[in-house]
Parts: sequence; C-alpha cells; structure tokens
Amino acid sequence: MEESSIEKQVVSLPPKKRSGWRESLPSKLNHLKGGNVTLDCGDWNLGCRELKQMKSIIEKSGMKLEQIYSVIPETIVSATALGYQAQLIFPKGAIQSQPQNSNVIRPEKESKVFFHEGTLRSGEHLEVEGDVLLLGDVNPGASISSTGDVLIFGRLLGTAHAGNSGNINAKIVALELKPLQLRIAEKIARGPEERPKVGFAEEAKLIKGHILIGPAKAAYLRKKPLLPNQSL
Amino acid sequence: MSPNTRIILICSGKGGVGKTTLTANLGIALAKQGVRTAVLDADFGLRNLDLLLGLENRIIYTAQEVLEESCRLEQALVKHKQEGNLALLPAGNPRMLDWLKPEDMQRIVSMLAEQFDYVLIDCPAGVEDGFKNAASATNEAIVITTPEISAVRDADRVIGLLNTNGIKPIQLVLNRVRPKMIASQEMLSVDDVTDILALPLLGLVLEDEQVIVSTNRGEPLTLRGSRSPAARCYGNIARRLQGEEIPLIDPSKEGKGLRDKFRRLMATKIF
Repeated sequence: MEESSIEKQVVSLPPKKRSGWRESLPSKLNHLKGGNVTLDCGDWNLGCRELKQMKSIIEKSGMKLEQIYSVIPETIVSATALGYQAQLIFPKGAIQSQPQNSNVIRPEKESKVFFHEGTLRSGEHLEVEGDVLLLGDVNPGASISSTGDVLIFGRLLGTAHAGNSGNINAKIVALELKPLQLRIAEKIARGPEERPKVGFAEEAKLIKGHILIGPAKAAYLRKKPLLPNQSL
Repeated sequence: MSPNTRIILICSGKGGVGKTTLTANLGIALAKQGVRTAVLDADFGLRNLDLLLGLENRIIYTAQEVLEESCRLEQALVKHKQEGNLALLPAGNPRMLDWLKPEDMQRIVSMLAEQFDYVLIDCPAGVEDGFKNAASATNEAIVITTPEISAVRDADRVIGLLNTNGIKPIQLVLNRVRPKMIASQEMLSVDDVTDILALPLLGLVLEDEQVIVSTNRGEPLTLRGSRSPAARCYGNIARRLQGEEIPLIDPSKEGKGLRDKFRRLMATKIF
C-alpha cells in the first residue's frame, strides 16, 4: 500500500483483491496523520458490506472516510449508496490487461460504460454509445437511450431505449421499472399499468420478439467484464 | 449590487397555475413584514401583474423606457398605494420581446437589487426566450405547480432547465390543493408531487374562491390581513422565505377543526 499526502490523504489498495485485507488495512493506516481519508479501491469489486467494514476500520484508527475512487462501476454504486463521494477513474492500461470473458459475444466497443449521476427531468434526453449506468431517476417525459444496456440505479418513469442501433440482446434494468414506454432494438412496448412492488429491481429483455419484464438478476453485472475505456 | 438582495424567479412552465397571483401576494406579504420588495413583471407578452396589484391606472413608464434610458428607474417604479414597501416595475410593450436580451434583463434586475431587499420576478409561461431572459437574471427560484399531471410535468421540465442554468436553491409551492379530493384519491397528493419533482416544499396553497374575488378587485388577499385559507398559506410562505420555521399545513386535517366549521357556518348564506 502506498499513500500520498499532497492535499488529500489517499490510501490505495493493492492491485489484486486479497482476503486478508481486514488484518493488513489497519497497519497501513498508522502512517497517516488522521483527518479525512480518500480510499482508492483500484479494481476491487466491493459491496456495501465490505465498504462498511473498511469504513469502521478507518474510523477505529481515528480517521474519516471521505471519498472513494475505483475503476469498477459496482464499487462506485455501492459507495454512492452508502452516501460517499465516489469517482470512477481509469488507470493507464492496468485494467486493460485483464482477460476478457470468453463467453461474451459482444463487439469490443460495446463494453464501454457511460456513467451519469443525476435525475433526468421531463424533456431531457441522455443518449449514449455503449452501456449507460444512471444514478438517479428518469422522470416522466424524459428519455434515456444507448446502443448497449440501460442500467438505472433509481426509478424509470419515462422512456428507455436499449440497443438503439439494433442490439437485440440489450437490457433495461431499474430499481423501479414503471416506464411510459420501453424500446429494445426495433421493438416498442408500453409500460405496465400497475405500480411494481417496491424494493425489487426489475429488468426488461427481448424474448422471442416481445419485451418482457422480470426480476433483475443480481449477478447480471458480473457476467461480463465492464472494462472502463479511456475515451469515456 | 447589494449582496444581501434576494432575487427570486417565480416560474411554473405551464400557464394559469398561479405565478402572478403568488408574486402579487408574496410581494404584499413581504412588504408587510417591513422588507423593501420589488416585483418585476417579466411577462411582457401578457402582462397582468399590475392588474392583480390594482396598479394598472398608475403606470406611466415601464421597463422598456428604463432600458431605453428615456426615464430613470425611480420614475418607472409604481409604489403600491397601501403598502409603501412594495414597488412594481411594469412590463413594457409586447414588442419588447423582439429585442430584449438576457443582458437587458440582468441590467434591470441589478438596478432593482441596489434599492430593494427582495426582487420577485414574475416569469412568463413556457420555456422559450421570455423564460430564458428571466432565468438569466436570477439566482434563486420558486417553482409553482398544481396537483395535475400536466402542471407537474411542465414544472419538472422547468426545474431541469433551472438546474442547467445553475440556479440554486429551487423551492416548490403547490397551489390549489383540495384536501377533500386528495382524501378521496381523486387528486395527486402532496407526496406524489414531491416524489417526482424532488424539491424542498416551500408551501402549500389551499384552493380558495376568495383568490378569484381578490384578483378581480385588484387587491391581493394578503393585503387586508384576510383570514381565508389561501391568505394564510401565502403569509406562511412569505415568513418561511424570511427564514422562520413554520410547519406545513396538513391537508388531511384542514377544515375539520371546530373553528373552521364555525367559520364555514358563518360564511353560509342562510337568506
């Protein structure tokens, strides 16, 4: 682990995730002066529980976790859900050397994930090449579209179009899926009339030419490598 | 520009939801609290803030002459006849729309800001040039909407535009609330609206026939210290703007108390 204290104190986790971090993290914190700490999680895929544990370890050492950096969108989502400032960063080439998952048939450029924070309000339109991850709601009258998947960490009440250049494998995932209209590739569907159950994420997929809504798969994001791209 | 002046844009997107009524009542209510308040009618195409304030026949010069520098600001300002702390800067000719630029609007607002504690700008409906001009000159906004999906949708659009202009804080006023219709679930509830718009609620205004009466008379409800429901709501909004902490009225409890029942009984025409 290294640290730098130009202005912010940054604690960087080592490149590969290790199981012994609960023991090794406190000793690395001893070098720091105290106060606010920024945690650079590198390519560690961390859930809310692990981040909470890290937070309590840092607090035991008399410091305060202020900000989280990561190259993994899932970690960013967890960090934001816990209320931290989180930033998706892209190191030079380090992450690109990871082996690409072999069962993914998507073309390379589709593995881009565009990350947007904030609610889309009526009349606003977000169009993205590649996948899009939105932290916020899509209000009625707003629309979001991408050539890949549309992932919404919030409510989808407007219109969403996944795979807008014809990708029939694209999906639309949201914590509350009650859109006015859903589009996947060339297919169009009206949203459901009734309100979905609260607290269950749902996804819309194209199955045999029809757009169907079902419970979202928790492991969905991990099926394919979400390689950040410098051009984002 | 005086740094303490609060410049507040009152806008809604949709027309007819109560921008001008709120501007007039809020202007009077603030002036009654002793703060120097200016109301600027930025609705050049369809001006009627002067009507609501009952000042139509006193207008000599307008914002147009001020911008053309053919009169001084003091000459154009119309002081309210009963509330000396309130002044109106009337909108000029509708043809102003052809040449008015955001810079003109900024110039006129900064002139007002030198003399007043509050500058309330009555924004035109829509999101076109009139709105953009008005939004360019402000740093704070009140979005007013009614519990109808069309008004809420337009308000949402306006909030998006205000956000991109970097205007903060934006607060919400929900107008024409009918407690009975909310209770019977025929109307969007307060939570339904704030759920979509995600803004801090500055106040609710109850549906009230007295608003129509006062508009036609050219005497805003807050002027005479009326005890009608809407007047109370406007007064509360003005006090919250000044930083007082006043709990929001609960629509479900409105009109149920003994005093309200008695008042209603007294208002009933028996003969």
